[in-house]
Parts: sequence; C-alpha cells; structure tokens
Amino acid sequence: MTTAPDIPRKIESDPIAQRFARGWHCLGLSKDFRDGKPHQINAFGQKLVVWEDAEGDLKVLDAYCRHMGGDLSQGTIKDGNIACPFHDWRWGGDGRCKQIPYSRRVPLRARTSSWPTLDQDGMLFVWNDPEGNPPIPEQAIPVIPGATSDEWTDWHWYSVKIDGSNCREIVDNVVDMAHFFYVHFSMPTFFKNVFEGHVATQFMDGTDRADIAVPSEDGAELLGMRSVASYFGPSFMIDDLTYEYDTGDFKSVLINCHYPVDTDSFVLQYGIIVKKPEGVSDEYALASAVNMGDFIKAGFEQDVEIWKNKARIDNPLLCEEDGPVYQLRRWYQQFYTDIADVKDEMTERFEFELDMTRPAEAWAQEVADNVAARDAAEAASAAAEAESVR
Amino acid sequence: MTSQVVVRPDVRLENAPMSPVSCDTCGARVEARKSSWEQTSIQWHAADTERCLERRAAMPPRIAGTPFGGCASLRTALSRAVDRGELPVLTEADAD
Repeated sequence: MTTAPDIPRKIESDPIAQRFARGWHCLGLSKDFRDGKPHQINAFGQKLVVWEDAEGDLKVLDAYCRHMGGDLSQGTIKDGNIACPFHDWRWGGDGRCKQIPYSRRVPLRARTSSWPTLDQDGMLFVWNDPEGNPPIPEQAIPVIPGATSDEWTDWHWYSVKIDGSNCREIVDNVVDMAHFFYVHFSMPTFFKNVFEGHVATQFMDGTDRADIAVPSEDGAELLGMRSVASYFGPSFMIDDLTYEYDTGDFKSVLINCHYPVDTDSFVLQYGIIVKKPEGVSDEYALASAVNMGDFIKAGFEQDVEIWKNKARIDNPLLCEEDGPVYQLRRWYQQFYTDIADVKDEMTERFEFELDMTRPAEAWAQEVADNVAARDAAEAASAAAEAESVR
Repeated sequence: MTSQVVVRPDVRLENAPMSPVSCDTCGARVEARKSSWEQTSIQWHAADTERCLERRAAMPPRIAGTPFGGCASLRTALSRAVDRGELPVLTEADAD
C-alpha cells in the first residue's frame, strides 16, 4: 500500500502554441457569402476576405492589400475580383493582382495569400496549414446526403463568438460522457470513443432521462437515442443523431464546428437538419429542427459559461469514470504539429468503451461461473487421471 | 515555424498500466485496460490495426465517414483474458 504525499496538486499549463490547426475549417453557410459583397472573417490570427467571384465560386484571401495594406474586406467586387478601397487594385480569387486601373503593368510579385476553399453541402470551408501545403485528400470532409435532399430540411444555423477561451476546450467535449447527463439531458447506456487517423468519434446510445421531457408535442413515447459524432480533422464534427419514438425514428444531422479567431477566442457554429417525418408539413419539420437547435443552444450556452471561467489545464486529475481526455489531446496534437513530426501515437487507433447494457453483476457472475466450471473440469480430469494411474 | 510536440501520458496509467492481449482470430496484439466491468480501453498499434479482419472488412466504410466501431473477435478475446486473469478488472482488484 503506497500513500501519496499530502500536498496540493498543481495545475500545469504549457504556453499556448502561437499556431493554428492544420485542416478544414467551416466558416459558415455558403449562401450567406453570396450577396455580391466582400465579407470579413477574423480567423487564424489574421483578417480574411470572402466573396463570390464571377463564376459563382467562393474565394478567400488575406484581407490586407499587398500594395499599401488597405483592407480588402472594406472594398467592392468588380468583375468578380475584389477591389481595394484604398487604390482600387484588383485581386483575383487565385491571389494574383489582375489589374491596377491607373497603371499599365502589374508588378511581378503582386501575389497575396489565398486559401483553398471547399463549398459543400451548403457550407463554406477553408483549409488552414501553417506549413502552406495543399489540402490532404484523405482528410476531405465527408458528404452529408441529407443536406442536399428534399426529404430533409435546410440548415438551421447558429454562430457565436467565444472570447477568453482557446478552442481546445470545445474539442474536449468529445470524451466528456458525464456532461451529456447534465447538459444534454440524456442517460447513456453505451458510450464509446474511437480515435484513428484524423477522425475522433463518439458513439452513444442513450435513453431519455425520466426527469426531463424531450421535445415531443404529439404524445409519442421516446424509446431511446443513437448518436454517432465524428470530428473530421480539428474542428468539424458531424453528428448523426436519431431519436427513436414508438411512432418511428426522428433523424437529424448536427454540425458542431468552430474556427479560431486567435489563440484566446473562437467562433463556435452549429447547424441542424432533420429528416421530414412522413405526413407532416415542411413548416412542422422546420419547427422541430428549430426546437432541437434551441435545445442544443441552451446546452452550449452552459458550456460557454464554464469555458470562459475555467483554467487551461494540461495535467487534469482524472478518476476512472472519466473519459480519455489525455488520449483525445494526443490525437488533437497532430493538427498542431508539422506533418513530418506527427508521431504514430497521435494517429494510432485508440478505443474507450463504456457498456452499461450488460449489468456488471451478471457479467461478474458469468466470469465466476466460467472459472468455477473450469476448476471443476480440471479437478475432474485430475481425478480421472489419478484413477487411470491406479 | 517549428512545432512543439508535448504529449502527456494518462495520469491513470501510473498506478495501473495497460496489459497486452492477443486476438484469437487474427493474432493482433493490443494493449488493454479495464477500469470496471463496463469500461474497456484498447490501444492499437499500426501493424496490428492492419491485421484485424473485421476492420479490413469494414474498410472503406459503407457510408463515407462512418468509422469502424470495433472488433467483435477482439471483444471475445478480451473477455477470455479477463476469465484467465490476464486482464485485471480494476474495481475488482480494489475490492479484494
């Protein structure tokens, strides 16, 4: 029996790296950027400008004009290019200066930073990489079939800036089983995390908490819920969430994503689509998406209060009932590491499972029975052997 | 720009490390740990992940983005390892 020294445990916190994660980051719904105006996005410690070019493609550039530093996000769109408000230099979505109206020739090095974009399922993504490499094909964001189907609602979308907190705090939620009970009002019966490659997943089956009613205005009885939620890369989570009622399944897809503004603030966004139940109007389906979204919003608002006030802690003191916080952070670290320095342990498969469906007593009894049966069998064969020797 | 790689080990492994367990089906060797009857942690290493037949059958995923949830053969192997006393169940060890 060893006893730990009776001294207070110190919270350790390494300096926050002044770099931003490698990977796809969702900036919001693409339709919101398609109004013919430039949009300012503060992300990755920089100012970006987003606009729709002449081909209808969304483009993202560093917002500061390389001529005299004018802010392109305050400019205008001319012929599909972004025009600086300072001297009207025209920049194309490829990052090249296309025209200087008062000059016959564009200087040779007139090139600014452009960001690879992905416009998929109604959302705009940018690829961030501190090393400047192109997107990694294996890390493409999976397509969400419901997002482009008439059988599903359109996105119901929320966006909120969180100040005074690093975005790591929200990623920690993936492993925090206990918080589902308190924040999302569900009682897990099965919980599992799997980290492999660039994907971190949370599987969860649950039953409704008896003390808190889940949105169901038509008297249908909730039997349970199933959720498979994966971070594809550092910041974009797709959650396939199904509520099972006695009248049928209620299917939804939740997005939980963020992009860092700087190392001490981020923009949290979440969206929801639901499969329109048979025989209900589109308005009713949308209303249920809004209901569910507001329910989730209330949950996040509680998280936000915690994040704003908590300490950054690199040596959390965990009990056996806690989830795999260290292993999740080890996985997350790959996105803050030069690609050549990513260690195997950051991407190798890790599983953490909590299966409450099989009562512990029953299982323990089964093992005891097996052991007893084996002992009996061994005793019997030993006796038989002794018999044959005699 | 250089990257600082600081990966801390799980504090819970200090007192109760993981135990090696081999799968009876494919021979993959993993590190496992059970903090209770309900809880299981499994650390795979790259070569053994490739060996797993069920994972191979699940790749590429049927639906894009659906990760492989876990191997039933390995689950059986883990149960047997518990039976044989090779994989301790920590709450049981405390009770003794």
